[in-house]
Amino acid sequence: MPLKMTVPSLRLFLLRIIRHMDERLLLVIIAALVGVGGGLAAVILDRLLFGIHHALRAMQCRWYAFLLPACGAALSSFFLGYIMKEGAGHGVPEVIYSVCKRGGLLRLRSSFSRLISGALTIATGGSAGPEAPVVISGASVGSNIAKVFSLNDRQRVTMVGCGAASAISAIFNAPIAGMIFAVEVILGEWTPINLIPIAIASVIGTEVSRLVEGNHIRFSHHQFHASLLDIGAAVGIAVLAGLSSVLFTRLLNGTIRKSRDLVSPDWLRAAMGGACVGILGLFLASVLGEGYDVVSTVMANEYQSGLLLAALATLAKILATSITIGTGGSGGIFAPCLVFGSLGGLAYQRGLVFLWPSIPWAEGGFFAMLGMAAVMSGTLQAPLTGIFLIVEVTGSYEVVLPLILVSAVSATLCHYMEPVSFYYRDLVSQGQLLRPRTDGRLLADLNISELVERDCVVVDEDTSLREMIPVVRQSSRDYFPVEDSKTGNFLGLIRLDDIRPYLFNADLHDAVIMGEIMDVTVPRVSPFDDMKHVLDLMDQTHRWSLPVVQGNKFLGMVSKATILDRYRKELIVQTY
Amino acid sequence: MEAQLIHVFRNTPFGRETLLESSYFCKTLGVELVVYIPKTSKFLMYFENDVVQVDLDRSYLTSPASARDHAASIAQSAGLEPLFFEPKDFTASTLPDIPTHFDYMCCPRSIVDLSSKIGLGYIGPRVRRIVQNAPFPVYIPNPVFKQWKSLAVLFGGSANAVKAVRLGMTLRELSGYPLQIFTQLDGDDRAKYDKVIEERGIEEAFEKWTVFDSGKLKENLYEVPHDALVIMGAYGHGLIRQLAFGSKMELIQTVLPNSMLIVGPYCTV
Repeated sequence: MPLKMTVPSLRLFLLRIIRHMDERLLLVIIAALVGVGGGLAAVILDRLLFGIHHALRAMQCRWYAFLLPACGAALSSFFLGYIMKEGAGHGVPEVIYSVCKRGGLLRLRSSFSRLISGALTIATGGSAGPEAPVVISGASVGSNIAKVFSLNDRQRVTMVGCGAASAISAIFNAPIAGMIFAVEVILGEWTPINLIPIAIASVIGTEVSRLVEGNHIRFSHHQFHASLLDIGAAVGIAVLAGLSSVLFTRLLNGTIRKSRDLVSPDWLRAAMGGACVGILGLFLASVLGEGYDVVSTVMANEYQSGLLLAALATLAKILATSITIGTGGSGGIFAPCLVFGSLGGLAYQRGLVFLWPSIPWAEGGFFAMLGMAAVMSGTLQAPLTGIFLIVEVTGSYEVVLPLILVSAVSATLCHYMEPVSFYYRDLVSQGQLLRPRTDGRLLADLNISELVERDCVVVDEDTSLREMIPVVRQSSRDYFPVEDSKTGNFLGLIRLDDIRPYLFNADLHDAVIMGEIMDVTVPRVSPFDDMKHVLDLMDQTHRWSLPVVQGNKFLGMVSKATILDRYRKELIVQTY
Repeated sequence: MEAQLIHVFRNTPFGRETLLESSYFCKTLGVELVVYIPKTSKFLMYFENDVVQVDLDRSYLTSPASARDHAASIAQSAGLEPLFFEPKDFTASTLPDIPTHFDYMCCPRSIVDLSSKIGLGYIGPRVRRIVQNAPFPVYIPNPVFKQWKSLAVLFGGSANAVKAVRLGMTLRELSGYPLQIFTQLDGDDRAKYDKVIEERGIEEAFEKWTVFDSGKLKENLYEVPHDALVIMGAYGHGLIRQLAFGSKMELIQTVLPNSMLIVGPYCTV
């Protein structure tokens, strides 16, 4: 059979199968594919980190070792900016933006670019975690697989969640945390149609990772025994961790803001940041890299430093991570949060022992674990992700109650002091965090050009009231746009109320001219304005209708009643 | 609402020519000209099922201080008052998103490479992806401004070619210029084309229909008037067939120096 006969037939056949398949079953099958992709992304990054780290091992004991993070960050920034031509940033906000505003569309290049740039930053000693690179890679794999299957926006968004979930599940060997992260942080909605494919992707991503890397708990330890007093003391670590999270978020945001203005180009800025981290690492090696070995040491109660050094290491890690990511290094904030959370927890425990030496406090590992959960929950403002991640990476199901307590307290405190998490900062400031079924999302889905009421009768500025009366009689509207008779440009608006005082005085019918009494101050909206802006304008000017004008030409009116009618219909569609 | 054409302005002599082309297009068809003056060398376009990142060459960022004035004066010389587009949405906080709700988009044959490299017969990968995904026809102008005075549709019988014919009919109505259809049979039976024309109800456009039943397409394209706006469908046969047999649109644009309006698979006419 000729090729031109078979290929379209095969494509049509596949499309027919896809279209006739139950949506949930289809999503589950595609989620499995995405899960494999997300899992592989995590494995590849892990191998890259291992490979680069080992290749540089000999250099790490040389005098110039402090330059390694600078070289890594510069290479990472150069690769991302000049070779892959991607915008800077660690990627998670980009995934959330895509989910909120772009139906989950992500660039194909994002499926591998951040893996390489992240590996370059982290393996050379930059203080960042591998999670953000795998999240954007997994999400991009999900988005592009959805594209191949011609899925609609809603289904594609689910696949983005599947990719993120499988990547987090695989990198931490933590399927529940991956799942929760995807719905709590990335998608922002819990629906059965999302949850099942995401769960499948998480499981498959984890299995892919286990097949290649083996099945082991990342920070395994012996069982902790916590008394009621320890649980009470946990509130203190929650507060401290919450404050650390706020400090970290502000320092990171500040570094991003300031460094952009201070140094250019991007690769030089990243190099300078890397050099600072390298110098810091000369004095406190625990700030370098993703720092999982530090967490393991702390959890195993093998961390030797005392209270002051542990506290200093906590602050240094916060600073190093802010510099690395803030100056353009590639990587995430999960791992650094775990490191300074555990160090902070350990410092807190040492402080308790110092103050009340006679009380049999729980081991440092127990408080380190609480510190990790509290910092994660506070920084991400995603308490469930914090709780389940720590439970899974430490295998500590027996301490889930204090974990819940510290996560809740820390997240609440952080939300009070810093209402927007690091992931959402830019999106919120640009009005782009549009979660499903929220007012902002509903308004964003309404388009002015679809709501323009075009049945308005337009009059010239020379029209007299006598000529206006039959127009008013025939029209069902209270508003009459006035246009320039020569150019057709919009000049102003006549309201029925404006002419009512003259209507019953026949002497004035020829004297009152529309051009003289029209409202020229009426605000105009463009067909491309945001609906939120239009409604705000209506509220500020106490108007129920506004003229839609484009290039000085009147297109129609947009009214609050029509907007609210469509708003309700959209709400019904989104909540169905 | 008036139809709109988005034009990414390059503040160079080459950019002047393409803006003159766009201005002429808008003036002739009563389309509103929307000019985007890029401030960064990248922007994204989110289509229905794909996202295209356009990496502009540095010449697009030439003399930003004079760009707006230059663009305005070029458009005004054609009697147009252009709208200047300012992006509101940004991917990764830094990459501007260009909306895809426009009715036409003007793309030179490449918007990635330096204009000095652009010659006839080269379509850049970004322009190709825009054509493949755009819901609007893509206007590929002459490298040097030349007014077109007629319309020529290259009709190959595909669904996209039918859309191109419909677009040709619309433009004929808007511009008042004559419309001519060209078809290369390539061994096919003419009856096949007659059937498509009848089924799609586009007979009216085929008053002046030139059918090439012999000779090579490249040679026959000489018959297309030099001052015609060429309208044609593209990428209507699926990826695998294109990989195997190539795209006819890409072949044609290597031969014809005319301004072209390309109707892609997702284009709605």
